[in-house]
Amino acid sequence: MKRAFDWLQSRTGFRGARHALLDEPLPPGTGWFFTLGSVLLALLAVQLLTGAFLTLYYAPTPDHAYDSVRFIIGTVPGRLVRGLHHYGASFLVVALVLHMVRVVAFGSYKAPREATWLSGLALFGLVLAFSLTGYLLPWDQRAYWATVVTINIARLTPLGGDVVAGLLQGGAAIGALTLTRWYSFHVIFLPAGLVALIVLHLVLMRRHGISGPVRSHAGDATAFYPWQAARDTAVIAVVLVALCVFAWNGPPPLEGPADPSDSTYIPRPEWYFLGLFQLLKYFPGRWEVVGAMVVPGVVVALLVLLPWLDRGPSRDPRRRPLVVGAFAVGFAAVVGLTALGWRDRPQTAAAAQTWTLREIGGRRMSQASGCAKCHSPDGIADPLEAAPSTRGPEWLAGHVVDPEMIAPGLREPPAPAAEREVAAIVAYVRKLSRQAYPGFAAETETAATIYARHCIGCHVIDGEGGKDGPELSHIGAKRDLAYFTRLIADPEAVNPDAEMPGFRSRLSDADLKAIAAYLESRK
Amino acid sequence: MDWPPFPCAAGMAPGSQKGFAMHRRRALVLFVNSVVALIGGGLSAILGAFALRPYKGAEGRWVRAGALADLTPHVPVARVLAISRQDGWYRERARETVFLVWDGGKALHALSATCTHLGCQVRWDVAATRFRCPCHGGVFDAQGNVVSGPPPRPLARVEARVDGGEGVLVRL
Ligand code: FES
Repeated sequence: MKRAFDWLQSRTGFRGARHALLDEPLPPGTGWFFTLGSVLLALLAVQLLTGAFLTLYYAPTPDHAYDSVRFIIGTVPGRLVRGLHHYGASFLVVALVLHMVRVVAFGSYKAPREATWLSGLALFGLVLAFSLTGYLLPWDQRAYWATVVTINIARLTPLGGDVVAGLLQGGAAIGALTLTRWYSFHVIFLPAGLVALIVLHLVLMRRHGISGPVRSHAGDATAFYPWQAARDTAVIAVVLVALCVFAWNGPPPLEGPADPSDSTYIPRPEWYFLGLFQLLKYFPGRWEVVGAMVVPGVVVALLVLLPWLDRGPSRDPRRRPLVVGAFAVGFAAVVGLTALGWRDRPQTAAAAQTWTLREIGGRRMSQASGCAKCHSPDGIADPLEAAPSTRGPEWLAGHVVDPEMIAPGLREPPAPAAEREVAAIVAYVRKLSRQAYPGFAAETETAATIYARHCIGCHVIDGEGGKDGPELSHIGAKRDLAYFTRLIADPEAVNPDAEMPGFRSRLSDADLKAIAAYLESRK
Repeated sequence: MDWPPFPCAAGMAPGSQKGFAMHRRRALVLFVNSVVALIGGGLSAILGAFALRPYKGAEGRWVRAGALADLTPHVPVARVLAISRQDGWYRERARETVFLVWDGGKALHALSATCTHLGCQVRWDVAATRFRCPCHGGVFDAQGNVVSGPPPRPLARVEARVDGGEGVLVRL
């Protein structure tokens, strides 16, 4: 063994490299506060590793990104790896902020370490850029809409905002070109820059030595390894265990596939952008650029200039009340804005409340019109409920009307479907892709089917439907069951001028009762 | 060859490395090395399991392959079937060739056209009543058994059945 190492030493000089890397002398009194840089390094390593492995399965196209991420989280190791990568980003941001707080409190940015400080700020910016670009990649609703907001904020850049937005967007709209673009930023350009900056940051750190405690301690310098390395390792172990708990407990949430036509979705940014998001709310209209660009710009400028604004020789925070106080106020403002943003974040409605009648009605129609012939556990296609569809409405409508269009010679000839049924089935399948069917009472399903087949042409319920007849969303507050039953069966018997056709011949008694009871329930 | 010595390593006092400190040092080295090994091992295990995700073959599905009326007894008929196959996250529309072989009575079987040697697609030679592989001269009889050439195994059997006395279904 010894001889093998001696041989390696003679060929590579690895012992010298090990000595140079590990035996750095640290000033006496270097303590636990100085472990944060190593924690960051460990977290970045986890991000780089898990990220590299995620690309084994991920496909950056709008048609496949969502499916590939769903495939990744389909197994325990996949859930873990994506969990580590997802929550690792949050851990990184927290560790970065703590590291920065330590550097400011200890005055470590002071001469001769200005360049180290600047490279650290650049690293902070890079990590946020990673987070923004990575957010889009799962191509789910959250990803898509957060990116819409990001690009629109970029558009506010004074002078050339459209150029910046165009650069980020790639194509005419957020789509395939945006996704590949952000993907290559996320996995090629940003990592290259990150590694270069980390090397620079570490080289600078070693060049000037670490700043050490604020007041010099008596005693000898100690080697990094194993004295400080032991503290680093202990903290890193605790942090990584915490990260594993997150990754293990909460599988990273994947929402429905991105749907640009969904007008009901409320975009939410990742939590560490909530402060910025909140700030925008205080600058409405043409002042928006102040919240989006000016305030953050001033903060960044102050941070960049910090080593030159605070030039006194002392690093002791008690002797630098102005700088430490200003930083504390700024920090409190960010925390406060984030807390406000967290409090104001849109609440998601209970699943059952987001289903429209047409979507509910589509369920029975899909069962009746033979979808299950192919879409069944032992059929040639997956059951409708098993896998959310990432297809657009036109594709789905075409497929419902003529399944053979997709699979010639493979499927049964389709049952002829009326236009409204097709629309309802498409609505149902698209809703399924965002949310599992919550289950409704049988009467509600019956009423929904009748509504989606007959009433929707003329009557609005919950913002959906034709406008020729009166809106029915709250009709139950005005009329009762007996009235609805009589009116729907034979409108002219109730009102001789009625334009509505009678449904006595088209609805069974049970159906009539179901729709009348449903309308009565709409208070 | 050696790397340049660390510039201010001289600042380290030799005294601190003696006695009790030496003991402590050994304990810390053990701690650091084992925790780092543990973290590395854990990460490698997770990432390894992730990369080696076991391939799960999709359940076969019955596919219509034609009608009994189109078949001639003992003459294998090639059918190119479109099947939809799950390939990880991707639903693939694959084409696969199978030969339907009917004995004129009740028995019907289907053979995969993929040669068992290196995977070329075999053809039915009507004159010789043999399957021939164009690649390295493999020859199979109508039952799929190897007659000559390098193929190590008979042609793979594909499950087949007659549906209601009419249509032929194969499981792919
Ligand atoms: S592949 Fe058929 S004989 Fe070699």
